[in-house]
Amino acid sequence: MTDSSPTTDRRRRGTRVAALACAGALALALAACGSGDNDDDNGGDGAGTPVGSPTTSEGYSAGLPSDAQKKGGTLKLLSAEAFQHLDPGQAYFQLDYMFVFAVHRALYYYEPSDSEEPIPDLAAGEPDISSDGRTVTVKLKPGIKYGTVDKNAAINGKEVTAADIKYAFERALNPSVPNGYFAAYFTSIAGSDKAKGGNISGITTPDEHTVQFKLDEPTGATLAKALVMPIAIPVPKSYAAQFDAKQPNPYETDPEKQAFSGPYMVQDYQPGKSMTMVRNPNWVAGTDSRPAHLDRIEWVLNADPNVAGRQIFNGTGLANGDPLTPATVRRFARQAKDRISFSPLGNRWVPLNTQKKPFSDINVRKAVLAATDRRAMQLTRGGALTGDIATHFLPPGIPGHEQAGGAAGSGVDYLAKPSGDPALAAEYMKKAGFASGRYEGDPIRMVSSNDSPAKETALVVRRSLQSLGFEVSQRSVDQSTFYDMCNDIAQQRNIDVCTNFGWLPDFFDGLAMLNANFNGASLSRVNQNPALLDDPQINQAMDDAAQIADPDKRAEAWANVDRMIVEHAAALPWLWDKQANVVSKNVHGVIAKWNATWDLSYMSLK
Amino acid sequence: MLSYILRRLAWTFVLLALVSAVTFAVFYLLPSTDPAVARAGRQPTPELIEQIRATLGLDRPIYVQYAKYMEDVFLHFDFGYSFDTGQDVREMIVTRLPATISLTVGAVVVWMAIAMPIGMISAIKRGSALDRLTMTGALLAISAPVYWLGLISLYLFSRDIGAVPIFAGNGTYQPLTQDPLAWLDSLLLPWLVLAAGFAAFYARMLRSNLVEVMSEDYIRTARAKGLSERRVLWRHGARGAITPVVTVLGLDIGILLGGSILTETVFSIPGVGLYAYEAIQSADLPVIQGTVLFAAFFIVVMNLLVDIAYAFLDPRVRVS
Repeated sequence: MTDSSPTTDRRRRGTRVAALACAGALALALAACGSGDNDDDNGGDGAGTPVGSPTTSEGYSAGLPSDAQKKGGTLKLLSAEAFQHLDPGQAYFQLDYMFVFAVHRALYYYEPSDSEEPIPDLAAGEPDISSDGRTVTVKLKPGIKYGTVDKNAAINGKEVTAADIKYAFERALNPSVPNGYFAAYFTSIAGSDKAKGGNISGITTPDEHTVQFKLDEPTGATLAKALVMPIAIPVPKSYAAQFDAKQPNPYETDPEKQAFSGPYMVQDYQPGKSMTMVRNPNWVAGTDSRPAHLDRIEWVLNADPNVAGRQIFNGTGLANGDPLTPATVRRFARQAKDRISFSPLGNRWVPLNTQKKPFSDINVRKAVLAATDRRAMQLTRGGALTGDIATHFLPPGIPGHEQAGGAAGSGVDYLAKPSGDPALAAEYMKKAGFASGRYEGDPIRMVSSNDSPAKETALVVRRSLQSLGFEVSQRSVDQSTFYDMCNDIAQQRNIDVCTNFGWLPDFFDGLAMLNANFNGASLSRVNQNPALLDDPQINQAMDDAAQIADPDKRAEAWANVDRMIVEHAAALPWLWDKQANVVSKNVHGVIAKWNATWDLSYMSLK
Repeated sequence: MLSYILRRLAWTFVLLALVSAVTFAVFYLLPSTDPAVARAGRQPTPELIEQIRATLGLDRPIYVQYAKYMEDVFLHFDFGYSFDTGQDVREMIVTRLPATISLTVGAVVVWMAIAMPIGMISAIKRGSALDRLTMTGALLAISAPVYWLGLISLYLFSRDIGAVPIFAGNGTYQPLTQDPLAWLDSLLLPWLVLAAGFAAFYARMLRSNLVEVMSEDYIRTARAKGLSERRVLWRHGARGAITPVVTVLGLDIGILLGGSILTETVFSIPGVGLYAYEAIQSADLPVIQGTVLFAAFFIVVMNLLVDIAYAFLDPRVRVS
């Protein structure tokens, strides 16, 4: 993925990666206010519920809930972007997730204070994974009911059952509900390969409150972790099948028609303009850990981002709906620190084509990693507040990060100096057969986005490559085209370097962070592996790690995969991102760390 | 006259077909996002992409897609569904049209109300301090990009973030039918901002036209006949000077009815322009096509109306 600015990038990518793209908006702004702060912004330890509005040691808002939050009132969210998908079966974008998890409940949910371990939401307890890893059983809480805007809808007031979870998965393979991640996490469900929206034989419902997933592979641990995704939001077949038979699907285009299980429901939706959410009268608070303080949530879509930032700063009852402009971040960071919070948000790296000369030579790749000035790259995005310099691929917060070396990294010499090590780079070039320590060959082809700050970052990469003697033929294209080129296998084969790639995990797990980007099995026509890495040992290590259920062993296994990728020098890891979010002075902002933005069910007015 | 109008209307359809063909060609021939890939999420299977491609009708040959589109548009007035949101494009444009019409009509009234007197006074008082002052102001207004002017005006005068809070701010638009006062309040600043550049341009145009007309032989003849200067100006001068203004005005109205992208964006007015802008960002072909066709339609129709109006304003045209 690449950088973007909210003012220029509103493309509907249908991906959560777009959220990370938009975080590029923070760039350039923060060098001035960051001053190299080590903003470990988690504030509290995540345990318990602090009183008051918790702040970090630097004075920024910690984005945590507190006991002092009050009930009632209306929050207005100003968003420069519009939603991509509102159907829980299709939602796959940061803004969509904010909406989806306020009006629906999935089997599992991440509390704001802890993104590593999800808690049961619709589920009554932890998923039960069989010893062979081929069966996952989930018990549902009884008494959870649907609410609909149309009070006369037959489903209104009906109980959520296991059959609704089964149907939610089945409809994700329906052409009218094209789901963008089923293939990544759920294809091991028996019978899913033949399903087109109908029955999936591997999902059964032994009783009304039990759903069971039978898998063809021993990957139950991975499936269990992925049950936090919105595909695990119940959709009642008796009600939704009528919509799913249509194209376009009204469950997506008219969200007022959805059957809501969460604390809120959609009262009104004007595509591209606004959405109004009100309390769901059938929400059963006693079964939900979320407090749902607000009475009403209003979204203003396609707001001008420059104006929105000032409105939030000056106004009341407002919060940002999507990433901010640099000017807004700068203003809040300087003048209203307690109203801005920073949240970790995935990583960024520069993939090198491992299947094509010159980067098919590992020593050439190591030379590039050694030569590149990651500190300069970080500055192009705004300095320390926009993210920490990465030393490997698992970012902070993801299990395995510490085991893979934490902030210091695994200790490879070619990533030891953040500002680059020209002498070491020359040594690696010599090992690659270039006696002069500089590359002597054909020009290499680099593709970059022409949005700021991606284009500035690309300049740093280009300079580093040129310092090693590479003649760089750079193609700078708009963000959409960048994606098309760097994700399309036919084009990837002819590209040597794709700058500004990055990733936001679907859930907090090493697999969600590394598998799509570095597993050779992911190399289909459209893929997220621009380094074209297809190393049998790494592939095997990933496949093995995917089967581990024990959290500690799993984290260690993915840390090992991380180390292997670093040692393979398939890409240059250079940033662990953070996203800024801001609120008006009378708003208590609470961050869903897993989504790096607001958790609307925890937000409140002061 | 009737046959002329019918001929022009027939050409309107030909022109719209050409415009849509060009839009189609641009979308397919130039590098652009594949809508199916964009909708498929970041970890799609080839099957999913093909599934979406089929759903969106992108699996058919381009000429078939185009023929089907033209059939739907011209025979059923159906502009298809948004690739991005699945919404009915015609319905969305119709829903957003009132906001665009409101913005356009109000801005036209404002800029003509400013341009007419300034242009005429400048022409009459040519070379005076007033003339220099107004024309300098006009030059500045023309030079100010509407996006910049919009932001500055919001920072200065909007009630929520302005230093001197006078006008309603960004995102306050209310439909006329819902709350007429709020509608008026929300559009005052956008009208002024949108009108600023146009008013300056029209004032300069009117001034130069009037200066030229007032030196014509027939004006001298009118004066020689002993007509008062006021009568010469209004009866003979203004009428001749305003005819070219009507031509440009008609085209400008047509263009603005197609969507004032920048003004609608900076003030978050949910009109056709903002809709088009969103569609361009996401390579949403049906919406791009729909908004372009609507814009082209307005321009062609306004052009036709201008030509008809010409005949009434200028007897020479009627004769020819």
